[in-house]
Amino acid sequence: MAATTGASTARASSLKLAALPNQGRSTLSFRLCPQTARLRVSCAAKPETVEKVCQIVKKQLALPDDTAVTGESKFAALGADSLDTVEIVMGLEEEFGISVEEDSAQSILTVQDAADLIEKLKEKDDA
Amino acid sequence: MGASSGPRLSGIQKQVLSLYREFLRVARSKSGEDHRQIESIVSAEFHRNSNEIDRKNFIYIEYLLRRGKKQLEQLKSPDIVGLSSLNVGSSQPKKT
Repeated sequence: MAATTGASTARASSLKLAALPNQGRSTLSFRLCPQTARLRVSCAAKPETVEKVCQIVKKQLALPDDTAVTGESKFAALGADSLDTVEIVMGLEEEFGISVEEDSAQSILTVQDAADLIEKLKEKDDA
Repeated sequence: MGASSGPRLSGIQKQVLSLYREFLRVARSKSGEDHRQIESIVSAEFHRNSNEIDRKNFIYIEYLLRRGKKQLEQLKSPDIVGLSSLNVGSSQPKKT
């Protein structure tokens, strides 16, 4: 969370610097911009959804409780192969009462991807 | 979504994953204890084969796919309530 706030602040300030070039302080801030775009996408899903997904992922992969799983965690980095990913997606379907199509199931690489997809599918259900 | 699409999977890999998904779905339709039993056997089998079989051994993988599909059809029948697996090669049976 701290990273998100930090990045968005940096982004705001870098924009400000760009808008006021006369101040002559357009220094290193710009480096953060590409990351910000990614972080902003990440914020699409609610934190509680992300948290719930993290828990399910941990359960499915039988990871110890102290393993750090965050939105940016890649399933592959947590030691999951494609079969484990299928299990995770099935577990998520059960938990959230949704149905994930196979094509979209294969594009899920991170916890965040999963959380975003869940929110999207839930929205569709509600509509 | 497009930017984060996963590793390109071959057709046969997709078939295997799809079969695995089907198995897990069918397992859900069975009752509590049997559900877990089926899941653990199916999961162990897929993982074991994924580690043991050479990824280029298409003939064998295709054979396993066909066999899996048949087993899946059997499992789908409501008369089938559980699944068991006996490991003949080693000394201890895997599941009763």
